Amino acid sequence: MTERTGGGSAKPLPFRGEVGVGLVPPRGAGPGGQPPTPPLKGMGFRSAIIPAAVLITALSITASARAPERWWAPGEGRTFPASLDYANGQGTLRTLLVGGPMPTRGHPFFEPIGSNGRACVTCHQPADAMSLSAATVRERWEATRGNDPLFAAIDGSNCPVLPQHDKASHSLLIERGLFRIQRPWPVTSFNGDPVTPDFTIEVVRDPNGCNSGPHYGPAAGNVSVYRRPRPVANMKYLLAVGFPFDPKQGYALPLDPDDGKPQSGNLMADNRAGNLRIQMEDAAASHLQLMGRLTPAQIARIKDFETRVYTAQQVSNGAGPLDALGASGGPAKLRDSEPGALGSIGVPVWSEFAAWEKIAPAEAAKLSPAELAFRQSVARGARVFRDKTFLITDTAGINSRMGFGNPVRNSCVFCHNMSQMGNDVAPGQVDLGTTTQPFADPWSDLPLFRITCLKAPHPHYGRVILTYDPGFALTSGKCADVGKITLQSMRGLSARAPYFSNGLAKDLRGIVDYYERRYNIGYTEQEKQDLVNMMSAL
Amino acid sequence: MRKALTLLALAAPLSAQAAETGDLVRFIACPVYRDADSGKKSGCWLASDPATGGRYDVSQSPYKPDWNFAVLVEGRLAAASPASCGAAVLEPVRTSRLAAPCVRHMLPAEGFPGRKYVLPRRNINPLSVARPLPPGPYAERVFTTWFEFDRDFLVYQYDDYQIDNAVTWIRGAKPAKLVVTGFAATTPETVSAQQIAERPEVAQERAESIAQTLRRLLPGMTVETKWEVGAKPSSDPDADGIPGQAQRRAEIRAVF
Ligand code: HEC
Ligand code: HEC
Repeated sequence: MTERTGGGSAKPLPFRGEVGVGLVPPRGAGPGGQPPTPPLKGMGFRSAIIPAAVLITALSITASARAPERWWAPGEGRTFPASLDYANGQGTLRTLLVGGPMPTRGHPFFEPIGSNGRACVTCHQPADAMSLSAATVRERWEATRGNDPLFAAIDGSNCPVLPQHDKASHSLLIERGLFRIQRPWPVTSFNGDPVTPDFTIEVVRDPNGCNSGPHYGPAAGNVSVYRRPRPVANMKYLLAVGFPFDPKQGYALPLDPDDGKPQSGNLMADNRAGNLRIQMEDAAASHLQLMGRLTPAQIARIKDFETRVYTAQQVSNGAGPLDALGASGGPAKLRDSEPGALGSIGVPVWSEFAAWEKIAPAEAAKLSPAELAFRQSVARGARVFRDKTFLITDTAGINSRMGFGNPVRNSCVFCHNMSQMGNDVAPGQVDLGTTTQPFADPWSDLPLFRITCLKAPHPHYGRVILTYDPGFALTSGKCADVGKITLQSMRGLSARAPYFSNGLAKDLRGIVDYYERRYNIGYTEQEKQDLVNMMSAL
Repeated sequence: MRKALTLLALAAPLSAQAAETGDLVRFIACPVYRDADSGKKSGCWLASDPATGGRYDVSQSPYKPDWNFAVLVEGRLAAASPASCGAAVLEPVRTSRLAAPCVRHMLPAEGFPGRKYVLPRRNINPLSVARPLPPGPYAERVFTTWFEFDRDFLVYQYDDYQIDNAVTWIRGAKPAKLVVTGFAATTPETVSAQQIAERPEVAQERAESIAQTLRRLLPGMTVETKWEVGAKPSSDPDADGIPGQAQRRAEIRAVF
């Protein structure tokens, strides 16, 4: 298995479709006509990667004339179809646009409306479940020799102070799909309310230069962290409000400054944007380097698109069509279901695959043994996700300040509890430890901050905390929120590796392995594989 | 067999205490987690009264212990059998997390099943379920929310339930304003040979936290805050007959 694929199934998988064909490439940078470059040292995950040049060669050979272009370049004016399929390592992802097709010419999600040549679609690509996989980033680097606006110095490099032509200056994006996110320091506002942080922040380590010097770092009034793009699809689930309270913060939900309605609290790793308008203004000013402001018409059109697009894996290499034999995988079910429902009191999470728990012998006979086994594995994986319990420990948001107790026995579905989507019905700010020591893996290429709590110590970490990304604390200003990252959607995973906000899990198996070491779960090898297969089908 | 023996052993210290059903128990201790497994949220919390050594099952608290910190246990001895967790059951019970650190300790299940999770009685409906407005006539009324010792944090499946009911009534009653009064139990008391008292500031913190929640749930409603220290227990039955809980509260008064 290579890092190109989202999943961890044992079967060798075909390369997916062509890359970059049709983009107006910078001179001499066409995918096929490019001389092979030697594989770069030290550019991989912890395991070896396939040299990008080999990939490009393989891709140009397997390129099919009929498949739609994978890469959506800003301003190319393609029509977004009502249904759009792209192959990935685990099968085929399907993206549905309600009310489509839609011409993208002139559409502010697709046009380079800022000053750096990027559009929203640059980082939210249909083939990548409206996120961006690290594999696609590498393909862009190779196809354009780093000249794609994707690699803009502002956040597509480890830091603008680094030499931009040097690939190593973009290593976080190329290796783990991470963009630089610059937050103000001290925290100045949460949904407009002033906040005085109850902690101080010091920079322990600044490997990239964006947390020190005259322009960067807390002393200069900002903090830089590095994060994966979150999928811009299935938005009605992320915006849904299931209950009137945020039990993790201990208040009723905050009200949307635009329409006065309660906010879901499920956008962005640090929940700095409570609604799509605030989010896109932040995105336009930072990622697109838009100098002015989005017009009301642009805001309306972006929101319209964002709330019409659904994406999920439709076909599995292992299982075949994911909506066959009574199963209801794929994006249509997502599109047609009511969002915001708690699986434990309604439709169980991932019961999409319940029908595959018992496949009638007559039906089973029509499947290949491998297909049958894979379907059964997916169905078991859904059960493992819901039913296999373990002790959740020292996880702020769950074990504190709420009263569930520390530890509390529960399963994956405790946090990933929304039917059809697997995000959190309540605002999902939880500290899984992905960005904070001692639970985070020791990535030396990420900045390391020392947080000191000024009032009460953190309920689990104590007074002093070491973190790569304080997460929600950068929005709430509370040391009790350090390391909390908003749960993402779980759909379209196969199209958008690596995973977690800082890309620490290079594939689906990496996710399961992280949970195993974090909570000492004791999954059997079979259970791990079943979880991986199930997640590959989402 | 092993289970029967354990139960027998348990009976001895209990009778030695001569405690009777309904007796109030109040002490500070390091909690012990028993990894009983009857599915989600089924584990047991145990704590021993340092004055008697008697061990109690305190698992039914709406705010549960953290194995790294001491807890203030307040509860009433229940008639329930100790078979679930292997200790005399306190119910109703409260376990407030204190700042004093504890050695974390986990016991294996040792044959005890724990309790299969059931949704608590005080549990709110999703917003998709309509909340019919209660019929009038409406007159001045007080709703109460309850807190953990020295904290202002809204208790899940307790305060949210109280507030959801209050807000539904207020939407129908349309009072002129709401006055939220936070109370703190600031009079020092000796529990397990330790002096404990809530911080005076927590009275205001409770008032502000509930007021903030009410402003969000009832936009446009005037919400005033007040606070009182040296709180006396309220007689509201939703404190479940635990005097300490009856002190640690915030009252929402709907004024016409
Ligand atoms: C340079 C890459 C890049 C560009 C360009 C970009 N985004 Fe993003 N987007 C991100 C990243 C990274 C995140 C996650 C940020 C975080 O969690 O702090 C994100 C998150 C989001 C989210 C939140 C989704 C969720 O589930 O929380 C939305 C919505 C979004 N972007 C919309 C847009 C729009 C609209 C535009 C154009 C105005 C845009 N993005 C342009 C990288 C990008
Ligand atoms: C205690 C709450 C909690 C539990 C239990 C939990 N998760 Fe998560 N999960 C989170 C949080 C928080 C994140 C976001 C963390 C981040 O991005 O750094 C997350 C993210 C994920 C993602 C999203 C990855 C992405 O990049 O989009 C997947 C997949 C996932 N979890 C799978 C699982 C599986 C499988 C289990 C059971 C072994 C599980 N989770 C149990 C809280 C939880």
